[in-house]
Amino acid sequence: MSWVTLCEEAALPSHRGIAAWASGKAIALFNLGEKGIFALDNIDPATGVSVLSRGLICEFDNQMYVSSPIHKQHYDLRTGQCLESAVLSVNCYEVKKLQGKILAKITSAPTSREQKSSHRGEG
Amino acid sequence: MKQKKQKLLVVGNGMVGHYFIEQLCQQQMSQYYDIQVLGEEQIAAYDRVQLSKYFESGNANSLMLTSQAEYKKQGVNLHLGQKAMAIDTASKQVVTEQGRMSYDKLVLATGSYPFVPPIDGNDRADCLVYRTIDDLKAIEQSAKRSRSGVVVGGGLLGLEAANALKSLGVDTHVVEFAPQLMSVQLNDHGGELLKQKIEALGVGVHLNKATTAIIDGENARHRMIFSDGSFLETDMLVFSAGIRPQDSLARKAGIEVGERGGIVIDDNCQTSITDIFAIGECALWQQKIFGLVAPGYQMADVVVSQITADYLNNTPSQFKGADMSTKLKLLGVDVASIGESRGFEDAQYVELFDRQGGIYKKLWLDEAGEYLKGAVLVGNVDEYASLLNVYLAAEPLDAPAATLLLADNSEPISLKDNAIVCSCHQVTKSAICEQVQGGKQSLTEIKACTKAASGCGGCSAVVEQIIDEALTEQGIATEQGICCHFEHDRQGLFHLCQVEGIKDFNTLYRQHAKAGASTLALGCEICKPLAASIFATLENDYVLSEQHVALQDTNDAYLGNLQKDGSYSVVPRIAGGEITPDKLIAIGEIAKKFDLYTKITGGQRIDMFGAQLSELPQIWRQLIAAGFETGHAYGKSLRTVKSCVGDTWCRYGVQDSVSLAIALENRYKGLRAPHKIKMAVSGCTRECAEAQSKDIGVIASENGWNLYVCGNGGMRPRHGDLFATDLSTAQLVSYIDRILMFYSKTAGRLQRTSVWMESLSGGLEYLQSVIIDDELGLAVELETQMKKVVASYQCEWQTSLNDKHFLSRFDEFVNPQDAPAHSQSSYQYLREQKFPMQSEVQTFSAVTQSASRAGDITVSIIEEQEVIV
Repeated sequence: MSWVTLCEEAALPSHRGIAAWASGKAIALFNLGEKGIFALDNIDPATGVSVLSRGLICEFDNQMYVSSPIHKQHYDLRTGQCLESAVLSVNCYEVKKLQGKILAKITSAPTSREQKSSHRGEG
Repeated sequence: MKQKKQKLLVVGNGMVGHYFIEQLCQQQMSQYYDIQVLGEEQIAAYDRVQLSKYFESGNANSLMLTSQAEYKKQGVNLHLGQKAMAIDTASKQVVTEQGRMSYDKLVLATGSYPFVPPIDGNDRADCLVYRTIDDLKAIEQSAKRSRSGVVVGGGLLGLEAANALKSLGVDTHVVEFAPQLMSVQLNDHGGELLKQKIEALGVGVHLNKATTAIIDGENARHRMIFSDGSFLETDMLVFSAGIRPQDSLARKAGIEVGERGGIVIDDNCQTSITDIFAIGECALWQQKIFGLVAPGYQMADVVVSQITADYLNNTPSQFKGADMSTKLKLLGVDVASIGESRGFEDAQYVELFDRQGGIYKKLWLDEAGEYLKGAVLVGNVDEYASLLNVYLAAEPLDAPAATLLLADNSEPISLKDNAIVCSCHQVTKSAICEQVQGGKQSLTEIKACTKAASGCGGCSAVVEQIIDEALTEQGIATEQGICCHFEHDRQGLFHLCQVEGIKDFNTLYRQHAKAGASTLALGCEICKPLAASIFATLENDYVLSEQHVALQDTNDAYLGNLQKDGSYSVVPRIAGGEITPDKLIAIGEIAKKFDLYTKITGGQRIDMFGAQLSELPQIWRQLIAAGFETGHAYGKSLRTVKSCVGDTWCRYGVQDSVSLAIALENRYKGLRAPHKIKMAVSGCTRECAEAQSKDIGVIASENGWNLYVCGNGGMRPRHGDLFATDLSTAQLVSYIDRILMFYSKTAGRLQRTSVWMESLSGGLEYLQSVIIDDELGLAVELETQMKKVVASYQCEWQTSLNDKHFLSRFDEFVNPQDAPAHSQSSYQYLREQKFPMQSEVQTFSAVTQSASRAGDITVSIIEEQEVIV
């Protein structure tokens, strides 16, 4: 694990998602203002497509989720767990602001998850 | 004192073995057991029932049920690619190639293997089986070098395999030994109809054929010789002639096995040796092998209850047999069987054979005709859930059996408490009701806690109905409220926004979210896009402005239509379908430059696919420079006004339909509504523009225009109702203004005009009284509202391009300098155009080849559709 700089704080749009490229993969970043900044893998494990940053943010029972734009599975912004399926989840990363930059704590080596091989959105 | 953990070893990581582990972990058993799992395949458990989906997605990801890491998290060690070689029952050890593993309890979930008939030549190259993902990969490879393929076996799995071959573009045949297809589940007539339907799809069916040898072919790789002297040539073969229990490990260890295979188990699922259990397709209970996944899950539940009894103080359950009823779609044909589906001696029956409609249904009753004992359904399985309910309840019928097939299916089914709703996971109605009483309210929550509707999903409508009933019983209103954040319906929210002048989601949420809704004020994918649609109808602001951008769903969010690979399609407006040669050339040049797949839509315009998010602004800049504007194909808004060529060219036309279509399209373009709106104008009664299938249809008459409303094509076709005749153009426009605005104001969420019309009490007459006679005194307000929308039209793409801040919306990456460029390797090229790599582009060789057989094949050509929303 190491802290990786993703972008300037000023460049990060608020109240919506955007992707960032870091450590050889796409990360979905959500800047929800005072509710926090969240980072998770951009690949939707249900379809293998790199799109989660483009999902709608939802709230159920006080938990925040991103809804995949492809088939609407919901992933918890804090844990990455899929609401509909116990076996689908994405990696979540800690995010911090430091000297005007946004950083995320990301595994540097490629992950062993199977979705890796089907990455085709930005490959 | 810390107790030493017992060692639990599971051999096999198929669906049942995995389910067993899941159940154990749910009971937190890893604190008492050291759990080890041996999996012979190189990958963790996957969904074998949906195996043919592999060919749809092109990879195994969507089939995966778990992973090694997932198991690790729960404290379970999964050893993949490790085969159990032997069991040493004396020392309680299992021998693998890597060494020995000892156990206190051993669970055998070794599954089954495909039976390959002992035919000379069955081991030739391109002779395969259909069981594992590796098998599928081999089939995929073989199909690439094959023009024809034969599946040996016309049972359930054989037809699945045939579907796979067909989807790979191979000329597919099924060879069956028995005189009918699916001889385990179907009777003669059911099998006969299934055969006809499958043949109509271009798959050859050969019954009563016993293969004696496979030799070199003359026109194909192999020739299959049949016992009746005939033969069939084929490039590849897939054996799917049944399964055999994988019992060799148990057999060698001296564990009792059945005469025809299968590890013998008792009601506790224990084998002949204490502490060794067997579950799933390898197990033989009362001389029966259960080749479906649901009974395997039941066995797993039994073993879980047996080995957790000491720790949880529960009463161990027992296996009492399982219902083998099943409902499936084979090669697109619906088939279902319940209980004694092939009948029995002295049975009474009710039979319905609709050859014209392609439907066969038969119910089997006991001798006295009082109890439903079995059923078979082919071609239409609407009654499956209600029949299964009656069958499982095992109570005397309270009406003649024929009424079971003639019942009105729109009536909700009344289920008994112990009725099994989800047969994949054996979930009863009462189990769902308990969860609802415990506070669960949505299908998603019920799926997660009971697993109901998470298998084949066929029961989800029934589960929703049960949830609603249970909520109503508790006095919780279900009709009210669009989602868990608002207790108003769409019409109520529209009214509030209009009357109180609410123009943003935060205000709406603060003032009208229901009591107890989260203070996070984020909303969900139901209320946010709905609010966006209401704001757009009322104010017609730029949909991606600061206060609206977070509300927009998938397509509206990026002003494009998202496709399965994450790219977008782009549709410029071509009003009335009229386009100049220069504009056609411009589209061609732009599509060529950005390498876009192009297709003519059903709405008389051109769709360009495969644009990456960050390319959208450049593409639109060029389209706008060429004189185009956005086509709103991404919005719940007016799509197109289709037209025939009209009286300017046509010898029969009586009015200028193209000019009216262009004028109407330009008037209503950009109108956001509860759902998409399609219109058409025909220049004479020949109706070439198909106006009666549109939300708004106009047909020219000698004296003016006839207006049709609330028609629909698509999934639920409905002819439009004739609303008014011989209208002047001014009258026509005023009526359409009022109808569209009244619809936008009063329709439910995502309700098309056709459904809206049917939901209006008083129907057409009521609508006419509101629009023509102005019974509600709304006409002026509706027209004024429409004038406002028309006057405030903007091309959303032009607005986006004019503002740097808006434009940044289409940046794919916040750090594009670090990101790799898109590579074209994500696409394949066929018919001189690109397609997503993961898509299987069909060649339909059955259609294009062998004109001599054309008479035998029915080809249904699906009408072209507009872009998927």
